[in-house]
Amino acid sequence: MISTTNLQRENHRRSADPVKKTATTILLTLIAAYFLLPLYWLLVSTTKTTQQLFNTPMLLFPSHWNLLSNWHWLNSYQHGVFWRWAINSVTYSLAAAVLGTLISAMAGYVLSMYKFKGNKAISTSILGALMVPAAALAIPTFLLVKSIGLINTYPGVILPMLLNPFGVYFMTVYIREAMPAELLDSGRVDGANDYWIFFRIGLPIINPGLVTLFLISFIGTWNNFFLPLVLLSKSQLYPLTVGLSIWVGNLNTAGTGMPLYPLIMIASFLSVIPMLILFGVLRKYITSGITMGSVKS
Amino acid sequence: MPILLLAPFVVLFAVFFIFPVLYALYLSLFVSHGGQNIFVGLQNYVQVFQDTAYWSGLLRVILYGVIQVTIMLIVALVLALLLDSDYVKGKAMFRLIYFLPYAVPGVIAAIMWGFLYAPQLDPLMSLFSAKHPLNLLAQGHVLAGIINMATWEWAGYNMTIYFASLTSIPVELYEAARLDGCSEVQTAIHVKVPMIRQTIILTVVLSIIGSLQLFNEPFVLASLTTISASYTPNMYIYNTAFSYGNFNYSAAMSVVLAVITFVASLFFLYMTSEPAPSNKKKVNRAEHPNMNGVPGEVR
Repeated sequence: MISTTNLQRENHRRSADPVKKTATTILLTLIAAYFLLPLYWLLVSTTKTTQQLFNTPMLLFPSHWNLLSNWHWLNSYQHGVFWRWAINSVTYSLAAAVLGTLISAMAGYVLSMYKFKGNKAISTSILGALMVPAAALAIPTFLLVKSIGLINTYPGVILPMLLNPFGVYFMTVYIREAMPAELLDSGRVDGANDYWIFFRIGLPIINPGLVTLFLISFIGTWNNFFLPLVLLSKSQLYPLTVGLSIWVGNLNTAGTGMPLYPLIMIASFLSVIPMLILFGVLRKYITSGITMGSVKS
Repeated sequence: MPILLLAPFVVLFAVFFIFPVLYALYLSLFVSHGGQNIFVGLQNYVQVFQDTAYWSGLLRVILYGVIQVTIMLIVALVLALLLDSDYVKGKAMFRLIYFLPYAVPGVIAAIMWGFLYAPQLDPLMSLFSAKHPLNLLAQGHVLAGIINMATWEWAGYNMTIYFASLTSIPVELYEAARLDGCSEVQTAIHVKVPMIRQTIILTVVLSIIGSLQLFNEPFVLASLTTISASYTPNMYIYNTAFSYGNFNYSAAMSVVLAVITFVASLFFLYMTSEPAPSNKKKVNRAEHPNMNGVPGEVR
């Protein structure tokens, strides 16, 4: 993919001015603080009561930790609905990522490996679809899902999420590069049918592309807000994003007049953590996905 | 051709893309009156064009887009160039940190920053002036607050794209620039930036599309401060449909927004389709119609 190796790149480095080096490092560190401090503040905040949030230094842990009582509050508040939302988020993200990736890979495989009438038309429509904002489709999608009786059901949210024009575009480009057309011919010579070739030969070859698309779809669905907000009105079915936005809306009004700050802090922190871990461990795959097409091969 | 491999996508595309587009067009031609749908032709569109709330919302997101996209992409580009220069150690760590907010759901980022903007919660805000603490939740400052949120969320994402693009430039070009006596900064401006021109254009288009769709951040902030129901076109569309139940007018507004988004993207692509005149070197004009990494994501 890249014409120059990292080693070659390093050999071409010149020794830079130490003053400039230090200045740059300080600048980059300050910017890193800008990106990290809100998350660190969130971590610190999970240990505080509302009172402590307002009265103790924002970036310091309090002298008396209330992490445990916040945790118990989270587990009992509205009968532990937070965990229901967490399960929903996992369900939606897994379903959309697994099925959506497979559907996109199958379509991308056909569009990249076969010449047929309509191929161009489908490929062009996919590119057009990428320019139409998802939000513009949300209202008619809501009415459609409602009219087929799937509003406030799992399939009603998951089915629209399976459509991933970017995924098909990604897989088409990826497969065109990763899979030699001769494989198809040699498989056919051996008497295998085209479906067998796709599942037994194609899928293992495009495995890295599948992982990338799976991760991007998983994060995208986990972070998605607008579509579930429009399609769901039953609290039991909310994903974390929608549930937490409702809590913020009830910040001062809900329950016994106790502000929900600590609850929202610990819930936000717990919603972010799985993504950060997934992201940290598998960043290479994610990077290769979002930079796809913008980097010449 | 294994038609069954293509069929699931085509069916989904027809049901959840083509049908909703046509249905929105259809809905926009009717008004609901006493449970009856009455055909009114383009009357809803006439109303949209006369709706000052809609256009002031649109102007607001355009203003937001111009400022936010400019700030964010300059920050992203400078960071990518710095990380690609000789000046820095620990590049991998910086890249990871800057890219991290991409993994944070936009709604959670909005909640986090929304709390941080409250002067009672965040002493940083009172640092600006002890007597008049800066309140980013106050009227007139909300947009600045949203600009900061979006920049925090997406600067690293764009930096990652630029950085990947920069590492694909052949080293020989740098060598040539150095022999010509270019300093590191000159190399960055005259060699690196022109080389990744196409990538920059792509990120501008994607960011414009994203900023016109602004919804999550103001929607969350509306719980913490006063934000009108028509603050952005998407908020207006959402509230018209789900607070007032007027799906027909909502559909007309979303058709207008979709057309504006589409035209704006094409216009920008057209305006920038000429090759850079000062750049005599062969520029790799990679084909990249899109690489929106966030399926279904609304900013």
